[in-house]
Amino acid sequence: MKKFYIIISLIVFVAAFSMCNKAEVFSDSGYDERLSGGAATIFDATSHALGNAVNGLSARDARVHDLGDQTFSQTFVAPPSPIFTGLGPIFNNISCVNCHRHDGEGLPTAGSSNSGLLVRLSLPGMDENGGPLAVPGFGLQLQDQAVAGAKPEANIIISYVDSTVTYPDGTIVKLSKPSYNIQNPYTALPTNCMFSPRLAPPLVGMGFLENIPESTILSFVDNGDKNGDGITGKANYVYNEYTKKTELGRFGLKANTSTLSLQVATAYQQDMGVTSYVQTAESAYGQPQMSAVNGDVQPELVDSLLNYVVFYVKTLAVPARRNVTDADVKAGATLFNQINCSGCHRPTMQSGIDLTLSQINNQRIHPYTDLLVHDMGPALADNRPDFLANGNEWRTAPLWGIGLLDLANGTPYFLHDGRARSFEEAILWHGGEAQKSKTLFMQLTSSERNQILKFLQSL
Amino acid sequence: MRKRFGFLIAALTVSVACHKAPSTPTDGSTAIEETVIKDFKNNTAISQYSNLNNAAVTLNGAITNLNSSPTDANLATAQTAWKNMRHVWEQSEGFLFGPVEDNDYDPNTDTWPTDYVQLDSVLASSNALQVSDIANLQQSMRGYHPLEYAIFGRGEGRTVAQLTPRLLQYATSLSSDILYNNVQPLYESWSSTSSDSYGQQVLNAGNGSTKFPKKQDLFLAIVGAMSDICEEVGNGKMYEPFAAHDSTITESPYSNNTSSDFKDNITGVKNVYFGLNGGTGLKDLVASKNKNLDNQIQTAINTAISSFDNITDTYEQAIFYQRTQIQQTMDAINALKDLLDNDLKNFITQYVQD
Repeated sequence: MKKFYIIISLIVFVAAFSMCNKAEVFSDSGYDERLSGGAATIFDATSHALGNAVNGLSARDARVHDLGDQTFSQTFVAPPSPIFTGLGPIFNNISCVNCHRHDGEGLPTAGSSNSGLLVRLSLPGMDENGGPLAVPGFGLQLQDQAVAGAKPEANIIISYVDSTVTYPDGTIVKLSKPSYNIQNPYTALPTNCMFSPRLAPPLVGMGFLENIPESTILSFVDNGDKNGDGITGKANYVYNEYTKKTELGRFGLKANTSTLSLQVATAYQQDMGVTSYVQTAESAYGQPQMSAVNGDVQPELVDSLLNYVVFYVKTLAVPARRNVTDADVKAGATLFNQINCSGCHRPTMQSGIDLTLSQINNQRIHPYTDLLVHDMGPALADNRPDFLANGNEWRTAPLWGIGLLDLANGTPYFLHDGRARSFEEAILWHGGEAQKSKTLFMQLTSSERNQILKFLQSL
Repeated sequence: MRKRFGFLIAALTVSVACHKAPSTPTDGSTAIEETVIKDFKNNTAISQYSNLNNAAVTLNGAITNLNSSPTDANLATAQTAWKNMRHVWEQSEGFLFGPVEDNDYDPNTDTWPTDYVQLDSVLASSNALQVSDIANLQQSMRGYHPLEYAIFGRGEGRTVAQLTPRLLQYATSLSSDILYNNVQPLYESWSSTSSDSYGQQVLNAGNGSTKFPKKQDLFLAIVGAMSDICEEVGNGKMYEPFAAHDSTITESPYSNNTSSDFKDNITGVKNVYFGLNGGTGLKDLVASKNKNLDNQIQTAINTAISSFDNITDTYEQAIFYQRTQIQQTMDAINALKDLLDNDLKNFITQYVQD
């Protein structure tokens, strides 16, 4: 009997202690805050910082990544050509890397070989899937370049008007507001066309953005602004032409594309005029420019090459933060939260499960986005709805890697059309749901504002 | 007595050993770092871009001459000038960072493949083919390779009789576009002494440079560029036509210059590591701390370069007939790349901390 009690009490003892030792989530201080992309982080602060593969790929995966890299950099030429054929007949640029320079962003110009800005267009109303209504003869995107013998859909002329913003402490900052003049359309444009300029964004952490659980993103929505911080947020549900389903939008500046594969395939099709198994129709289909190319075989991009590029983008590493122990950077991080920039630019979340790629599987990441669309105010509005995103709304830009754009791209350009040439200008353009945070930013002292800017530079 | 004396010596030795000044990673190396940076900028980078500029001037002169007097001799001179230009350009790809990338001088002049379908349309069109027209063409119709097509033809060999006035005008504007819109501004961006020029940004690395706040940033950029060109040659430009058994996707097929392009690329890596024109190179920094690593890198570079001598056919033929030799060269380049990516990069992060 005594033995029985001893055994029972030992069991109780062990059970009690094992409950006490239940594993808990580490506190924030238990993580290295430089690791913006968890296991997919890489330490590189050179001009190539945005173009590294995640560490630890198998030999096969590394080879697929490299092939994707080559295809991403590959210039396409007009058909019929034995290699890399299929450019055009109308297009915006001739390779992925011409817009996503060093896997970063594009230049905010249009119509040149180094231009990274394009213009979407549509008519008022919706198509049968809730998306923007295509303009007859133009589609949903203006292709402003064409192969020899074909006409571009139009030319895009960009001009800027300067204005100033004055801080309460008297500091003055100049802002440049762009306007877009669509000239020389190959055929008449309807007068009620809506236009939306978009700058090619950096590719940092695309694999993660596809892998953040939908439930996490939806948990950020604050319908009716119950917490009273002025921020609501909206998930953009968009139609996927390949899966024929409505899915959560994650990519594109209005979160208007749901998957990486559709994003890459649509860029090939719309930006370069290169068709694939995902996007089978030429962007000029049904338009007179089609007669400029002969001997074209569809799809122009073989399946494997498209898959390589998707894998390449998915396996790009997230660059590590720099100077995280700097006192100003730390203070800036605190202020960033204090004035609620973090209400939309969400610092921390856990990625979802992806058993095919351990580096992005269940990682603690710092993308600084909620992947929702928010009203950004009239100054930034394009007034062109895109699925559920209305004409004032833009997706929260992820901020990881943003401090490396000057190295990767020479001059950094921010916001959907690259109008801001510095973090400060970008912040001052914020409005709508971000108005409160911007006002608080402007009320900070000059040194506090600089701390926030130094923090952003460390991302 | 002797015992005590021995004890004293031992005690003294121990105490001296205890008081040895601890060596720090940056101890005494700042001077070498600065010399290596200065010599990289002046003796390696600017010197090669100066050579590139001279080669572009010669090429432009030869093409202009060919345009006004299309003779066999002038065509041969132009072809030699093109090959010489490539020789210098490919070596300069050993440090492919800075304005050459940021300002698109590389894709403006060295985009591959050439868009022959459009090129034929443009030649048959009413395009005036002036330099400003060339600069507005897509990059696949600008630079070295369209010019290669113009003066070497496509496989069959170019004859003077084939040089139409339109083709000559196109070639002339191409070579002017290379010189005036690309090579000259590239050279000036490094050689200018204005404080915001790229050359000065390099020189002032770790000392007020906005591009390179720390010297380490510059050294990592240099090592990264050396590794990138090994990757591009070993796993891309050599590997792709080799794996596909396809001679149409080699780099410079019409001048049969492909092998030479590759070797020059790796020679570019050697120039950065060893230094040029009597200047110091990265090797001097590495050898000052880790002679064994320096020996390994020197051997790997020399092995990779000399292995090209085993490929005696043109590369377009070698992918069919000298596959063993090509594989050996790719292996040698990849071994070099591994050393650069791992050992040399670690060396820089360990020893260059300012």
